[in-house]
Amino acid sequence: MKKSSILGIVVIAIFIAMIISIYGDSSTYASFSEAQKTEAELHVVGQLNKEKELIYNPTENANYFSFYMLDEKGKECKVVFNGSKPQDFERSEQIVLTGKMVGQEFHASKILMKCPSKYNEQEVEVSESIASS
Amino acid sequence: MDINYQGESLLPGQLGQFFIVLTFGTALLACISYFFATQSKDGSSASWKKIARLAFWINLISVVGIGSSLYYIIYNHLFEYHYAWSHSSTTLPMKYIISSFWEGQEGSFWLWMFWQALLGAVLVFRAKTWESPVMTTVMLCQALLASMLLGVEVLGERVGSSPFILLRNAMDLPIFSRPDYLKMIVDGNGLNPLLQNYWMTIHPPTLFLGFASMVVPFAYAFAGLWQRRYTEWIKPAMPWSLFAVMILGVGIIMGSFWAYEALNFGGFWAWDPVENASVIPWFTLIAAVHVLLAYKNSGHSYFTAAFLVMISFILVVYASFLTRSGILGETSVHSFTDLGMFWQLVLFNAIFLGLMVWVLISRWKELPITKKDEETYSREFWLFIGSMVLLVACIQIIASTSIPVFNAVFGTKVAPPIDPIAHYNKWQVPFAVVIAILSATAQFMKYRRTDVKKFYRSIISSLIVAIVLTAVTVYFTQVYTNFMYILLTFAAIFSIVSNSKVLGDALKGKWRLAGSAVAHIGFALLLIGALVAAATEKVISNNSTGVIAVEGFDAVETPGDNLFMYMNEPIQMGEYTITYVGDSIDGVDVYYRVNYVRKGKDGKVKESFQLTPRAQQNPKMGLVGTPSTRHYLKRDIYTIVTAAPKIETLLNGNEHDDHEGHSSYEDYEEPMTYEVNVGDTLRYRSGFIIVKEVNRNATIQNIPVAKGDIAVGLMLEIHASNNKTYTAEPIYLIKEGMVYDFAKDIEEQGLKFRFTKIKPDVNKLEVMVYQKPPAEKKWIVMKAIEFPYINFFWAGTIIMTIGFVLSIFRRNKEIKD
Repeated sequence: MKKSSILGIVVIAIFIAMIISIYGDSSTYASFSEAQKTEAELHVVGQLNKEKELIYNPTENANYFSFYMLDEKGKECKVVFNGSKPQDFERSEQIVLTGKMVGQEFHASKILMKCPSKYNEQEVEVSESIASS
Repeated sequence: MDINYQGESLLPGQLGQFFIVLTFGTALLACISYFFATQSKDGSSASWKKIARLAFWINLISVVGIGSSLYYIIYNHLFEYHYAWSHSSTTLPMKYIISSFWEGQEGSFWLWMFWQALLGAVLVFRAKTWESPVMTTVMLCQALLASMLLGVEVLGERVGSSPFILLRNAMDLPIFSRPDYLKMIVDGNGLNPLLQNYWMTIHPPTLFLGFASMVVPFAYAFAGLWQRRYTEWIKPAMPWSLFAVMILGVGIIMGSFWAYEALNFGGFWAWDPVENASVIPWFTLIAAVHVLLAYKNSGHSYFTAAFLVMISFILVVYASFLTRSGILGETSVHSFTDLGMFWQLVLFNAIFLGLMVWVLISRWKELPITKKDEETYSREFWLFIGSMVLLVACIQIIASTSIPVFNAVFGTKVAPPIDPIAHYNKWQVPFAVVIAILSATAQFMKYRRTDVKKFYRSIISSLIVAIVLTAVTVYFTQVYTNFMYILLTFAAIFSIVSNSKVLGDALKGKWRLAGSAVAHIGFALLLIGALVAAATEKVISNNSTGVIAVEGFDAVETPGDNLFMYMNEPIQMGEYTITYVGDSIDGVDVYYRVNYVRKGKDGKVKESFQLTPRAQQNPKMGLVGTPSTRHYLKRDIYTIVTAAPKIETLLNGNEHDDHEGHSSYEDYEEPMTYEVNVGDTLRYRSGFIIVKEVNRNATIQNIPVAKGDIAVGLMLEIHASNNKTYTAEPIYLIKEGMVYDFAKDIEEQGLKFRFTKIKPDVNKLEVMVYQKPPAEKKWIVMKAIEFPYINFFWAGTIIMTIGFVLSIFRRNKEIKD
C-alpha cells in the first residue's frame, strides 16, 4: 500500500475522533427548568428582570454579584456570579449565561450580554465577562 | 414633501459615492479585459491588455478617492454622514481619527481594496507574462469588494453598504423633518474606547494587508492551472506566499498584543471565533509554503500544494463571512453585526470556491502528479506529513468555530463548548507537539534520499541537549504539573536546538537555510512562551482578607479574583503591599494610581512602582477598563480595575462649575455659629482654626468702599490635621446702611466661613463655619494577574518574522536567477 494511502486513513481516523470530541464538548442551550435536571454546565439564554434588584456591593464582597433573569420560557431564576458586576449590565437586552444550577440558584461561570447601543437600534454591542475560578 | 436641509455639506459624499461606482466599474472592466487579454491568442491580446491597464490605474486612483473623501468627512466632523456620526466625535483625539476610519465594516472593506490595488500595481510592473491571468483574478476580487460598498438597490435588493450614506437616510428620527436638524446634532457617537489604543491604529492595516496579499498566491495557482502552465507558477508564487504569511502573522500577533495590553479579558489569546477566523488561513498558507517547497525540490505533493494555496484565500473570504455576516451572533465578543450583506458575502465565498473546484476538476487529468511513492527518509515526505498535520489542526478549528454556521444550515441549536480555551487546547497542543518535532527533524533530512546513519548521528546530539534543557526549563517554569505541557516544552526546545544547529551551519556558509532555521526557532519560542504564560498564569489579587457574609449567600466557594481596596489603605497581595493612592482624570479617562511595594525579609523596600490602570467612564458605554502592566524580563504583572464609583461629572458630560457668589450652601452641613475674639481657637472635624486679627481696611473685589461704609475682614488661619495651613478672610460690609457679608471657601478642606455680625456691646464677632459632610471614601475593585515568561511569546514572534523576511529575500532572488 502506498504511504499516502496509509496517511489518508490516519487523517480520516483523527478527523472522526475530532468530530466526536467537538460533539462531546459542545454544550446545549437550555431553560432553567432543564438546567435543574442536570449537573452539567450549559448555556441559558434570557433577559434580565429589570424590576428586581441587582446585588453588587463591592465594599462587602467584590466577587459576589447576583440578579434575577427570565429565561426564554419566561421562568425566573436567581443568578449568582462569582465576580464583579459586568459594566453596563443594567442596559443588557439579552444575556447568555454559562453555568449550572446549585439548589434554587443558577451559578454562572460566564456571562455574555448584548447591549443595545443607546443611540442606534440597528447596532448591537456584545461584551463578555468570565467568573473567577 | 422635499425639505431643503440647511448646513449640509453634500459634495464630499457625492464625490465619494462617485468614486465607489467608478471603482466598481473599472475593477469589472479590468477583470474582463485581462480575461480577454489572457484568452485571445491573436493580436487583440495586446489591446485588451492596454484597456485593462488603463482601467486598473483609474481603479487605483478612485480607491484613493474613496478613502480621501471618507477621511475628509471624518476629519471635518461632518455628522450629516452616518459613518462619521457613528464612529467619531469631536472630542476624539486626533491620533484616533484614523482608527475610527476602520471601526466600521465599510472602512475595513476599503482598507482591503486599497491594499489589493497597491499589490495590483506591483503585479502590473513585475508579473511580466503572468500579469494578465493573475490580474484577472485579482481584479475580480476587487470588483466583488467594491460591490460591498455600493449601497444601491438592484431589483429590490440592496447591494453593499455605502460609507457615504447620510444620517437622515440611515435612520428614521423625528428631527429629520426639520430643515435645520444638523444644528441639533451636537456630536458623534465616538469611537469605542477599547479601540482608542495605539495598537488599534496599526493592527487593522497590517491584518488587512495580510488578507489582501493572500489573493496573489491564489491568483498564481489559479492562473497556472487555468493556463496549463502547471509548474511555472510555483516560483513566483513562493515569495508572495511567504510575504502573505509574514504580514498576516504580524497582524495577528499585533491583535494579540492589543488584546493583552488594552482588553480586559486578561490574556493574549482566547480562541475567540474572530481570532480563529484569521489564524486558520495563516495555518493553511504555512502548510502550503512547505508543500510548495517539497514539490519544487522533489516533484511530489503537487495537488496538495495547489489545493492549499487556493484554499487559504478561500478561508480568508470565509473568515470575512464569519465576522461580517452577523452569523457568529452570541458566540463572539467582537464580531460585526449584519449590515444586510449576508447573501452577498455567501456569494463572495461561492465564487472563489467555485473557481477552485472548477479549475481542479477540469485540469485534474493533466496535473503533474507523481505515481511514485515518497522515500521515508526524505525531506519531501516529512514536509508533506507536517502540512497534513497543520491542515488537520485547521479543520478542528474550523469545525468548532463554525458551530453557528452548522446551526444556521441544519436548523440545529448546538451551543459552542462551555470552556473554549480548554476545548481548543486539548486538540491544538498535541498538534503543536507534532509540528515542533517535525520542524526539528525534517531540517536534517535531504530531498529525495537521506543517509540514514548520518541523519541519526546528527539528530541524536540535538536530542540529548534538548532533553537536558527541557528538564531545566520545566523545573524553572513550573510546568511539570501536566504531561502534555512537558511534552510540548520538549518538542519546542528540540526544535530550537536542532534549528540552531542548522543556523550554525548556515553562518558557516550554507546561508540559504538561515531563513527557515530562524523562523522555526521563533515559532518554537512562541510556543514555549504561550504555553508557560497560559499554563502558569495566576491571579494574584486573591481576595483572602476575610469574606464578609452577604445575605442570601452562605460562603464564597473559591476566593474571588477581585480585590476591594479603599483609598490609602494598604493591602497585602502576595509579596506586594499594594495601595490605591488616588486617581487623576484626563478627558474621559480616569487613571487609578496603585502603588506596589515589595519588601525583603529585613523589611527593607526592595522594589516599588506604580501602575495606573485606566478606566474610561464613558457616558454611552459605561466603565471600560484598560489594564496597566508592569513588564519584567521574566514575567508581567497585569492590573485592571473592574469596578469603581461613578464620577458624575464625567458621566453627565459638562463639568458643573461653581460660580463665585453662587449661594449654594446645599453641599454643606448645618453651620456652626461662634462668637469669637481675636486669639480664639475653633475646632472642626479635621483640624482647628485660629482667629488671627481683624482687618479694618478690607477690600472687596469689584465693590468700591465709599466713605461711611464699613468693610471689615476677619483673618482666619486654618490648621488641618495633615499639617497644612490655609488662610481665609471672610468680610463684613455695611454699605449705605445695608449689611452684607462675603463668604470664603477653603475648597480642599470642605470649609466655608461667613463673618456675619459685629457685636460691639459684648465685644464679640460672630462667625459661621460651614463644613462639608465627610467625603465618601474612594474605592476600587481590581484584579491582578501574573504572566510568567510571556516575553518568550513576543520574542518568538519577532524572531519568526525575521526568519520570514530572510526567506522572502532568498526566494525572490531565485526568480531573478
